[in-house]
Amino acid sequence: MEPSADRDLTMPAGRVLGVILIALAIAALFNSEALVRAGEGMKPGRTRDIVLSVGRPLDDAAGFIGLHLPREGLDLAFGQEPKTAAGTELERGSNAILRQNRKKEVRQSFVQPTRAHPLRVLVTGDSQAEFLGQRLIDQGPSELLDVTTVARNGTGLTNPAFFNWEINARQEVETRDLDAVVMAIGDNDGFNVQTPDGSLYDPGDPGWETEFARRVAVVSSVLSSGGKRPVYWVPPPTARDPKFNRIFRIQNRAVERATRAVPALRYVDVYSTLGHGRYSDELTIDGKRVLARQPDGIHFTRDGAVAPARLILDAMAEDFPALRRR
Amino acid sequence: MVFPTIEFAAFFAVVFVVSWALQPHPSAWRPFILAASYFFYGWVDWRWVLILIASSVVNTFASQVIARSPSAATRKRALVGAIVFDLGLLCVFKYLSFFVTQTDDALDGIGLGSTVPLVQIVLPIGISFFTFQAISYVVDVYRGETRAASLMDVAILQAFFPHIVAGPIVRANELLPQLRTPRDPRAVLAGPAIFLIVGGIVKKTVIADELARRIVDPVYSDPSAHSGAEVLLAFYGFAAQIYCDFSGYTDMAIGLALLLGYQLPQNFNRPYLALSLQDFWRRWHMTLSRWLRDYLYIPLGGSRKGRAKTYRNIMITMLLGGLWHGASWTFVLWGGIHGTALSAERFARERFPGFRLPAWAAWLVTFNVVCVAWVFFRAPDLHTAFAVLGGLGLGGPSPLVTLPLVFLVVASVAIQAVPREWWRDAEAWLVARPVAVQGIAVGAVIVAADAAVGQQGVAPFIYYQF
Repeated sequence: MEPSADRDLTMPAGRVLGVILIALAIAALFNSEALVRAGEGMKPGRTRDIVLSVGRPLDDAAGFIGLHLPREGLDLAFGQEPKTAAGTELERGSNAILRQNRKKEVRQSFVQPTRAHPLRVLVTGDSQAEFLGQRLIDQGPSELLDVTTVARNGTGLTNPAFFNWEINARQEVETRDLDAVVMAIGDNDGFNVQTPDGSLYDPGDPGWETEFARRVAVVSSVLSSGGKRPVYWVPPPTARDPKFNRIFRIQNRAVERATRAVPALRYVDVYSTLGHGRYSDELTIDGKRVLARQPDGIHFTRDGAVAPARLILDAMAEDFPALRRR
Repeated sequence: MVFPTIEFAAFFAVVFVVSWALQPHPSAWRPFILAASYFFYGWVDWRWVLILIASSVVNTFASQVIARSPSAATRKRALVGAIVFDLGLLCVFKYLSFFVTQTDDALDGIGLGSTVPLVQIVLPIGISFFTFQAISYVVDVYRGETRAASLMDVAILQAFFPHIVAGPIVRANELLPQLRTPRDPRAVLAGPAIFLIVGGIVKKTVIADELARRIVDPVYSDPSAHSGAEVLLAFYGFAAQIYCDFSGYTDMAIGLALLLGYQLPQNFNRPYLALSLQDFWRRWHMTLSRWLRDYLYIPLGGSRKGRAKTYRNIMITMLLGGLWHGASWTFVLWGGIHGTALSAERFARERFPGFRLPAWAAWLVTFNVVCVAWVFFRAPDLHTAFAVLGGLGLGGPSPLVTLPLVFLVVASVAIQAVPREWWRDAEAWLVARPVAVQGIAVGAVIVAADAAVGQQGVAPFIYYQF
């Protein structure tokens, strides 16, 4: 970086500090909603508490004096859709949605894919969805599948103030013409949850499992558009850290429970199927050992994602026999 | 810690104040900036700091032995020992999984089977950068190009937070002399610094992430599902994305260091205006290029040992440069394409000394060779890379090809042609404004950049994985 010889491009450090502070104040005031959302998305801890304790009152004040308007205009200009809102069913609905649905006992039939009209599949969820989507493409009959992958990194069902999956699901089914949805989510769901009646449950409490099942039912109902298309729900696999496994087991049970209530919801059990429920960095796929997990001990590698992708295809083949693997 | 985040903004505001307050007291400033850098680096995983400290201790010890020992053999042993340690670190953390997997495949291929456990090792962020920096330091001490420094100075040289994660790769004689002289708080190069930081944020959020989300990632995820026009846009789109992503990061790094009073070396100099591959490598990731030149190509013999060995040295340098990015055959092939193109250029220059392509044709060829190589850099495997290249000529509907995306690709190349003087004028104009105007302008760009990213947040920088 060569300073210009004929111009003074310098400022005293004190003035620079002034610029930094004013810029940060402007950004915090006009972006207060984003500040709160960023805090909501952080892992529980001191940093999150500080960000939220500063951000929430700032956001209230900024909203009160109309400072949200410029950001809303910019969101509109950039085509950004809101992913959070108050009063959705995800936060306020009732457990009635979990009542067993008799229709479930009769297998639904869906329009079958052909070469002329391949199955339009949305693979979505958290970061785990990325490689699953890629592998679904090369493991399935490519002429019968048209896969779109949209991974929403860092999201989950337990934190709708950060990312509301019910709202996102509505936007997805409204803007895309879909025949099936694969939902891979749960890696970021270690938070406590508040039920519509105001009770707060930690992971491990029986109430947490029920509330999680209710949220799965709400989101899958939206994604299936009331049974119009099947939704293949893929909760997390086994993790290296037993602490995560306790939560992942509960999530798997919750998803299984939700399938009894939502006719088009299918549970893809990666947790107990791969490695017989035991974690390993490697898997044997087609007789060849592969490094199946990323260093975090949760996410699949691109090579390892072949195994869960095949399980998803097997589940899909129950509804679409042409997808059966040969 | 990642640059454009709330945590980093708070961190930097504190570091800025304390760093300038301590500038008149070097004995206090040094431990402070080192502690701040370790805090920054260990934010995700504090154990990474231990690796960094081990690297600093070993390289300081080796450089002190080199500086003090009268015996040439001892000096050489210290140099080799340090390099083996540095490369060993890199091999264990970056390449062990790859080598074990490849060995397992090879043993399997000849029917021997293998019982070697496949293990996934966490890659400490920035290890490729601080390792190369450490090697350059001990080699420079050995060559007598820099003085052996104290453990504190070496630790700061390696860990200085603006550059630790993704460069620029700083040489000892660029930063150590600055550490020895207190910075002048009355003359912070704020004009260039603000432009670099704000420009870096815009490049990353408005161009790189947008192109990745809307065209590059979907196409590379399934090239066969996209038309030729969409594949073509992704082909050029990734060239724009990686430039804006990586140069955006190093712009921010250089700008942040400038605000603290330190100048880091330039890392990009309008690379997509290059008229030859040789020219491209003088403009792209300049600190890595010169590292490879000074510590690999020239020690191999450079161009001094005949034509055949020159081509060999070019190929070795570029292949290892590819492998430096990651343990994957796609990176090796990326390096191979550049090595082949550089060799071909050299051959043409020597065989037809008077021949020169018109500038527009030279630019077109250079830019497209670079873009073809980027396909292998971006693709997760060779199959996908060839599918992208094979998909360039296909027809079909192209809903992903939109005017704003084409504009972003064109703009990311065209902006490199803006004369430097114009930027200097803009910097001078900004510096002459009142503080409030400057603050509001910078704040407004941050708000707009955050709106461009939306609720999905800033994607990780591509070079974080290296």
